[in-house]
Amino acid sequence: MGLTRRRFLQWAGATGIGAVVFNGCRVPDHEIQVQSPVQIPEDLVTGRDNYYATVVQGPGSSEGLLVRVMEGRAKKVEGNPDYPMNTGKHGLRAEALLQAAYHPDRIKTPLRRVAKGGPFRPIGWPEAIAELTRVLTEADPSRVVLATAPIRGVLADVTRRFADSYGARLVGFDPLDLTVLRAAIKRVFGQDALPDFDIARTGYLLSFGSDFLGTWLDPTHFARGYGEFRQGDRERGYLVQVDSRFSPTAAAADEWVYVTPGSEGLLAMAMIHTIVSDGLGDDAAASALTGGRGASALSAFAPSAVAERVFGETGGGAERIRKMARDFASADHAQALAIGGGSAGAYANGLFNLTAIYALNHLVGAVDPPNGGGLVFNPPSEEPRITAAPLREWKQLISDMRAGAIDVLLVRDANIDYGLPGSLGTREALGNVGTIVSFSSFLDETTALADLILPGNTPLEEWGTDIPDPGPGYRTVAFQQPAINRFNDTLSFGDALLETGRELGFGDQLPWATMRDAVRDTARALHESGRGSVTQPTFEEFWKRALERGGWWDMNATASAASAPPQLPTAAASPDLAGDEDQYPFFLVPYEAHGIGAGGFAHLPWVQSAPDPITTVTWATWLDVNPTTARELNLHQDDVVIVGAPNGRFIHVTVYVNPATPPRVVSIPFGGGHEHFTGVAAKRGANVLDILADTEDAETGALAWAGTRVRLTKTRTRVRLPKLEGDELAVQLPGEEVIEVQHVRR
Amino acid sequence: MATQTKASAQRDNPKWEMVVDLDRCTGCQACVIACQAENNIPINEESAFHEHRAIQWIRIERYWEGEFPDVKARFLPLLCQQCDNAPCEPVCPVFATYHNNEGLNVQVYNRCVGTRYCGNNCPYHARLFNYWEPVWPEDLRNQLNPDVTVRTRGVMEKCTFCIQRIRRATRGGEPVEDGTLQPACAQACPTSALVFGNSNDPDAKVSRLKTDERHFRVMEHLGTDPSVTYLKQVDVDG
Ligand code: SF4
Ligand code: SF4
Repeated sequence: MGLTRRRFLQWAGATGIGAVVFNGCRVPDHEIQVQSPVQIPEDLVTGRDNYYATVVQGPGSSEGLLVRVMEGRAKKVEGNPDYPMNTGKHGLRAEALLQAAYHPDRIKTPLRRVAKGGPFRPIGWPEAIAELTRVLTEADPSRVVLATAPIRGVLADVTRRFADSYGARLVGFDPLDLTVLRAAIKRVFGQDALPDFDIARTGYLLSFGSDFLGTWLDPTHFARGYGEFRQGDRERGYLVQVDSRFSPTAAAADEWVYVTPGSEGLLAMAMIHTIVSDGLGDDAAASALTGGRGASALSAFAPSAVAERVFGETGGGAERIRKMARDFASADHAQALAIGGGSAGAYANGLFNLTAIYALNHLVGAVDPPNGGGLVFNPPSEEPRITAAPLREWKQLISDMRAGAIDVLLVRDANIDYGLPGSLGTREALGNVGTIVSFSSFLDETTALADLILPGNTPLEEWGTDIPDPGPGYRTVAFQQPAINRFNDTLSFGDALLETGRELGFGDQLPWATMRDAVRDTARALHESGRGSVTQPTFEEFWKRALERGGWWDMNATASAASAPPQLPTAAASPDLAGDEDQYPFFLVPYEAHGIGAGGFAHLPWVQSAPDPITTVTWATWLDVNPTTARELNLHQDDVVIVGAPNGRFIHVTVYVNPATPPRVVSIPFGGGHEHFTGVAAKRGANVLDILADTEDAETGALAWAGTRVRLTKTRTRVRLPKLEGDELAVQLPGEEVIEVQHVRR
Repeated sequence: MATQTKASAQRDNPKWEMVVDLDRCTGCQACVIACQAENNIPINEESAFHEHRAIQWIRIERYWEGEFPDVKARFLPLLCQQCDNAPCEPVCPVFATYHNNEGLNVQVYNRCVGTRYCGNNCPYHARLFNYWEPVWPEDLRNQLNPDVTVRTRGVMEKCTFCIQRIRRATRGGEPVEDGTLQPACAQACPTSALVFGNSNDPDAKVSRLKTDERHFRVMEHLGTDPSVTYLKQVDVDG
C-alpha cells in the first residue's frame, strides 16, 4: 500500500506508529504542506515535516525517540513506539532535549584561554584540534586523564580506543554512580549487566529506596510496566515502598514503610530470617543463602533482635517484619519481586543492604520466573561500556591532581568541580592540573576552569548507538542519528577524538573517518549476523530499515542463567553515618531531583519549571522538614536555614514543611547551586553535594551519599519558594473530595 | 452495516473525550512538559510561580492526606474538562469562547479581548491568561510548533485537546483509527493514565473506560457535564 499524502498527514497527527520517515539527513522527496488549525491563508504554514528515530541514553536509562523536524528545526520529541524500552512513551527530560539543542547559552564555537586565568577567545576547529594535538604530544600520557560521563555503545568504544592508544587513564564520573547496584547484581546473581524488572506481570513488588517511578534507573520504562501492574488485564499488583523518604514511588505505593536510614538491609535480612525459619520460601535457595545452616546462620537478624534498629521505637516491631515477610512470600498473589537502590545503597553498608534485598528474590522464585514477573536478566554487552568510577578512585585522582601529578585533564560532561563532595577540594586540585580541555556543550563548573574548549553536540545532533543497561531482557542496539543538523560550530565528542587520534598518528586503532562510519560498522556486524528484528538482503537496505525503526533487537539473544545464591553474611554491616546524634540530630537523606537530577539537567528551562511531584516546588532547592519538627525548631515555610555537616561545611536552604517527612529526617534534592552552567542554572538554589561527608561504601568505595548527619540553624532570612501549589496546605475537604477513591479489602 | 454506521458516526459527529486513570498516574509531569512543547506555551519563569500565573494547560495537583507516618499524597491531572455545559462560554462578551460540534470548548485567540470573565467562571481553573507578552530567547524559537498560534499579551488560553493534531488527523475525512490520534499529554504519559478518543465510537477505548466501575467526574455536582472522566484511585485497606 502506498503512503498517500492524506494518510501521511493522519499519521503525522497521530502517534507516529510507522511514521518514522527517514532518508538519512537529506530532505524527503515529497514536500508536505501543513496548515495551521486556523484555516485562513495568512496562517498557511509551508514546511517539510518529518520524523527521525533516535535514542538518548542516561546512566541507567535509554529512551528511543521520534523527533519531529520541520524545515530543519526539531519541533517535538515523542517516544519511539517500536523501541523495546519505552515503547512510545517518554519522560520530561527527553522532551527538553529540544531546549538543549536550541539553548541560547550553548558554547557556540571552540574557545581557547588567552592566558592562564584570562578570558576565552573564540577559535576555529582546525586551531582547536591542532592545539589539543600539541598538548597531548607534549604531555606524558601516564599523566593524562580522560574523564567522561558514563557512555555506552559506539562512543564508548571510540573513547576507550582513544584513551588506550594514547595511554591516558580513562575514568567515568557520575555523582550518583551505580557501582553498588552493579556489585550487588554481580554478587547475588553472577550477572554483569543490570537486570530488567518485569513490573507489569509482578503481583507483589517490594522496593527498597529505589524511586523507580521518579528518578531511579529508567523511570519511563518502569512506569510503562507500572501502569499495567496497576490496571492492566491481570489482578491489581501490590506495591510496598521501604524508604526513609517519601518519594513519588512511596506516594504511589499501597504501603510506605519508613525505616531508619541505612537499615534497609537489616530489614531484608530479618525478612529472610522469617522466610527461612518458617519454611516459606524455596528450600534450595534457603540452604544456599545460609550455607546449609538454615535460620541459625541468620540468628543475628531475628526480627525481635533488629526491629527497633529498623523502625525505631514506634514502628511496629518484630511482628511487622514477620508480616512483611509472610506477605512477600505468600502464594496468594502473582510473582513477588524485591528491588533496591537509591538511598538504600548509599551508606557505608550499601552493598550489604542491596545484597540482602536482592537475595530475597532467590527465595520466592523471582529469578527469571517461567510465567513472567520478577527479574529478567540481560545478555552481557559485547561492546565496551564506560561506567562511573567509585568515589574511592576519584579521591585518589583528586589527590594526584593536587600533588601536581596530572598534566592534562580531558573532560566530557564529567562535572567534577560541581559533583564531587565539597570536602575533597576539587577546585583547588584542578588548579594544579597543567591543562584542562573540555568537550562539553555548556559552560559547566569544570568547563569554566578549562584552558581549551572543544564544544560537543547535543544528543539530537549526533551519531551513536546505545546498548541499554538495563536492557529489555534481550540484546538490543539502538541507533542514534542526527535529527537536526548542527546548529552551532560544534563537533561531536567522538568526531573530535577521531580527528585528534589521526593527528596523533594512531589512526589504525581508530579506523573510522567519522562517528557515522563507526555506527555503520556496528550496523554491518548486525546485518551480517542475519538475526534480529531487522534482516535485509543488502547492507544499505538494512541500514535504512534499522535507522527507520531506531534500532535492532534480537529477542532470542537472552542472558545466561543466574548463578547459585550466594551465602549471606552472618553479621550486619553498619551504615556508619558521619556525625554524632547529639550534635547532628538529623539524618540527611538527599535525593535526585525529579527534573534536574544531580544537576546535569539544571540548564533546561522546561525541566526547571516542572514542579517536583511531591512539593510542587520549581526552580529552587528546598529542605523537607516534618511539621512537628518544624514547630519544635520554630521553623516556618520559606525560612532559610543553615544545614551544617560534621565536616564543617554548610549550605543555606529554604524550608518546605512537608507532612510526609519523617521527624528525624531532613531531605534536600540534588542538582541546585550551580555557579555556572548557563543563565538558567546559575546562582539558583544550593548544592547538597557540597556538604556531604566523603564516606564510602565499605566494599565498593562508592560515595555513601545518604550517610551524613546534619544540624539545622535558623537564620532571619526568608525566601519564598516558587511552587505550583498555593500558600495553604492543599488537602481534600471531607465530603467535598475532588479526588475520589475506591476502597478495596486486601 | 455496522462499519458504515460506526464510520459515519466518527466522521460526521466525533465527540472527543478523555479518561484519566488516577490509579495509574504517578505525578511524573511528563504530560505537563509534553504539552508545553507541543502547544508553544511560554516558559514558566520563577516569577510566574510566585504570582501563581504559571501557564500549564495540564497541571498535576497534589493533595495531602494526613501526616507522617499515616500520610498520602494524591495526584490529579487537571486540564480543561471541555465541559458540554461550560460556564466559561456564556460570559464571553465577544464570543471568543464557544462550543464546537465535536464537543470541544474552543478559544478563538484573535477574538479574545481579555476581559477574563471566562477564567473567573471556570470552576476548574483551567483557563490561563497572558498577563505579559510571552518571550522566548531567539534560539529557542526554533522549537516552536508551526501548527499552533503563539498567543499574545492580553489573550486567554487553555487546553485544546491538541486541536491541531485533531485537524491534521481528520482533515481527509477518513475515520480515525482508535488510539492513533493522541494529544501530546496522552502520547507521552508513561503509565498510559491518559486515554483519548472519540466517544461516539462505541468500540473506542475511551468509550469503554468512561463507564468503568471506577468512573467519576470532577466537581460533577456543578452541572458542567465535563468530557473528561476520571477513574478512581484504588486504596487497599489493611
Ligand atoms: S473546564 Fe473551564 S475552561 Fe474548560 S470548558 Fe469547562 S468551564 Fe470552560
Ligand atoms: S504523564 Fe501520566 S503519569 Fe505522568 S503525571 Fe501526567 S498523567 Fe500522571
